[in-house]
Amino acid sequence: MKKKLLALIFGLVVMFAFTACGSSDSGDSGDSGDTASKELNVFMWSDYLSDDVVADFENETGIKVNLSYMNDNADSINKLTAGAGDEYDLIMTCDAYMESLIKGGYLEELDLSQIPNSENINKAYWSEENQKYCIPYLMNYIYVVYDTERCPIEITCYNDLIKPEMKGQLGSIDGARNLFPIALIALGYDPNSTEESEIAEAYEWLKKYNDNVVAYGSTETNIVNGTISAMLTYDGNTAEAMASMGDNNTLTVAPFKEDPVQLGFDLYVIPKGAKHMDAAYAFLNYITDPEVMAKNLIDNPYSCPNDAAVAAASEEYRNGPAFDFDYKENIFFQEDVGDAIKIYDKYYQKLKVDTGE
Amino acid sequence: MTASKGRAKGTNRLPLLAQAGPVSLWMILFVTIPMLFIIFISFMTRGTFGGVEYTPSLESYQTMMEVTYFHIIVKSLGVAAETTIACLIVGYPFAYYIARKPPATASRLITLLMIPFWTNSLMRLNAWMLIFQTNGPVNNFMLKTHIVDQPVTFIFTDGLVLLGLITNYLPFAVLPMYSSIEKLQKPILEASADLGAKPSVTLLKVTLPLTFPGIFSAIILTFIPALGTYVITDMLGGGKVLYIGNIIKNQFGTIRNWPLGAAMSVLLLAVTALMIFLYSRFAKVEDMEVV
Amino acid sequence: MAERDKLNRKQKRDRRRKIPWTIFAALVYASFYIPVLVMILFSFNDAKRNYSWMGFTTEWYPKLFSFGNHDLWESLVYSLVIAILATVISVIIGVLGGIGLKKFEFRGKRFINMMLFVPIVVPEVVMAVSMLIIFMIVGIKLGLGAIVIGHCTFCIPYAVIIIKGRITGDNETLQEASMDLGANRIQTFLKVTIPSIMPGIMSAAFLSFTLSIDDVMISNMLAGASQSTLPVLILSVNRTGITPDINALTTIMVIVMLFGMVVMNIMQRIHNKREARIMAESDARIQAARLAAEEY
Repeated sequence: MKKKLLALIFGLVVMFAFTACGSSDSGDSGDSGDTASKELNVFMWSDYLSDDVVADFENETGIKVNLSYMNDNADSINKLTAGAGDEYDLIMTCDAYMESLIKGGYLEELDLSQIPNSENINKAYWSEENQKYCIPYLMNYIYVVYDTERCPIEITCYNDLIKPEMKGQLGSIDGARNLFPIALIALGYDPNSTEESEIAEAYEWLKKYNDNVVAYGSTETNIVNGTISAMLTYDGNTAEAMASMGDNNTLTVAPFKEDPVQLGFDLYVIPKGAKHMDAAYAFLNYITDPEVMAKNLIDNPYSCPNDAAVAAASEEYRNGPAFDFDYKENIFFQEDVGDAIKIYDKYYQKLKVDTGE
Repeated sequence: MTASKGRAKGTNRLPLLAQAGPVSLWMILFVTIPMLFIIFISFMTRGTFGGVEYTPSLESYQTMMEVTYFHIIVKSLGVAAETTIACLIVGYPFAYYIARKPPATASRLITLLMIPFWTNSLMRLNAWMLIFQTNGPVNNFMLKTHIVDQPVTFIFTDGLVLLGLITNYLPFAVLPMYSSIEKLQKPILEASADLGAKPSVTLLKVTLPLTFPGIFSAIILTFIPALGTYVITDMLGGGKVLYIGNIIKNQFGTIRNWPLGAAMSVLLLAVTALMIFLYSRFAKVEDMEVV
Repeated sequence: MAERDKLNRKQKRDRRRKIPWTIFAALVYASFYIPVLVMILFSFNDAKRNYSWMGFTTEWYPKLFSFGNHDLWESLVYSLVIAILATVISVIIGVLGGIGLKKFEFRGKRFINMMLFVPIVVPEVVMAVSMLIIFMIVGIKLGLGAIVIGHCTFCIPYAVIIIKGRITGDNETLQEASMDLGANRIQTFLKVTIPSIMPGIMSAAFLSFTLSIDDVMISNMLAGASQSTLPVLILSVNRTGITPDINALTTIMVIVMLFGMVVMNIMQRIHNKREARIMAESDARIQAARLAAEEY
């Protein structure tokens, strides 16, 4: 009996010690009273927000910004759905997850009157429903880029990617919901299809695609060091790759004629129970300021839904070769496919098992 | 009366509680309970917006019966087996080499084996990529010396994946084998030699059987972690093939099907239990060498 | 003479036989250290990201110490704090547990012994996810505390098993002698037991520290709001390509830790020598006393 009691007490002490330790770590949380917050906890991609912008914000407002980084879109979803959202004040996620997050009740509704600069954001990229819950930050086109000197063919549509000439030439980003849409489009279906028969056809198409792919991920590294000569990738990563090739740049964005390309958004949301809402609003208003965002774009040359900021941005950014393509309006979005995600997952796994034999 | 009895008992029990208590409690709180919970979740349903719905179902296990998963499991077992065999072939002679050194040198050699782990494993994997990439030093050297005319593709091949896996798991195979070889008593080996046994016979009939517990724990310590790995295979293999580790990670990640991820984890737990059971047939589990 | 010749020849033959062994061991070590050397080399790469070698520069080292890089330093300090906490806790619990599990028989001991193998063999993903879920349910806040618990959970088993292996019959005899001489349990524990298993404690600490500093998976899952460990930061940077300043930081870290280990080794050796001298002196004194006694 005594043994059990002692064990229990010890257990409680250990637990208490660690929870206390944990909470003291996150600083002066919980004081969401009248006083303004002195810190802001942000969870987002690394290398995606200029250090100078953060420093300027800290100097101007006296709010300390704690950045922590995710490695996968899933990280932010996991934090939110496992109930750890309230540890943060701002979380970055992407448009494809918005519907689930809103319906699941994981997000705080935004008061846009506190973010007057949000007026600068192009409403075409910011749906009515999303306006209540998120602020679009940067966006990226998922398109095809190839090396004009080394790539055996000129690529003008997705079907070019599965030609036998492309074997051993192709690099690609990964993920079921990035790969299946291009196959569905190549076959003439809705990129967000929930029909199993269409997804199954897309799987057959992707098998040929997969045969040509050398590696998934690290596309820009592989194209710069000559392992691949064409890639399905993001515009920002392309900008990095082109910049690192400097004057010897032979990369070009594929001149697509008809096929639409995917446009994805990275957005900031305020998780339910966030402790420094005022600081979060202050930051969102700061980052949507055209001048600030223009400065941020120097370090992070991605496409930006903030029209005023793009107008204020440097010539170099606006004329960057990674954005030199004329089908910016011919786009599709990744939508939440609900339970059909299981179908996608099934065929995605099948895709990654059948090959390599 | 009862109080004094309690105290008497307490004084007897105190050293036991103070010494074995913390570790027992820790293991129960942070190992047993989480593992039980994983097993519990595997019998539930996927929540529509992520998370878990607490409706009992066998769906996850039914899904795992599908042929795709069978292939994935077979592939994962294959890679883990290759890694383990390679680690044994390289690790056993290496452990033997270290064990024959004087103790001070041996412990220094072991330390030397662990120090690279101070750099992050991702950095080391990246270094392998840089060495073997298309315009990397190995290819440049072979082109310059005209060993080849065209750059050879090393990266994203099975060979490089295996190299990455071996360099990551070898120390964990060497440590237990080293411990059991070190415990081998010289007189036994000498006796075998004196009785006229050839070195190869001594190795097969004396050394190997006596160090078997070390070999078996080396197998467990490389096989099971290798079974669940995905970072190494993704980075060095180009992410073209999925393994059990990928599936688990994806289920808890973008796919948000926690029960299926949990069920796959239970499968790994079962393999672990099976191997430890097999081990217990040959030697006492408590005496298993891991370091 | 002939005898000696024979011996010499035998020695030579032995040495020659050792050569392939030495080459083999050198190759194994090479496979461990070549990536580390390449990693160091690329801290001098004149490129924004380490896609390939672009030329030599030392600019990344001064840049590392400039303002913009506080993220990297913060995460390094965070990793070290976690590693040290995890090491200390694991070693304390490991020493107690190792002794306790060796010395006492109690109900459930077999079970605990089995449980110790679970964190060692179960794939990290499974450990990480199960802990995340449990921590969320129990209400343990993610962050430093949670990561330390996570790291301890896979370090403690190693510590316990190392310590268990170090306890032999001799230790128990020594302990009994100490108790017979009137020392209480705690004194005996601190003055006799601990020193007698010191080498085990050192290797348990070394292994715990190494495992903690290398961990990605558990640190990533259990990371809190304000900071991430260096490996987690590296994982997230890896998405777009490792930058040479990370190589520079890792290089500095390894060199500093190596230096620390060498210093500790030297201190240990000096300590051992002093102890040996004291022993020798006391031996001499006893001898002298005995001689004096005999003379008397």
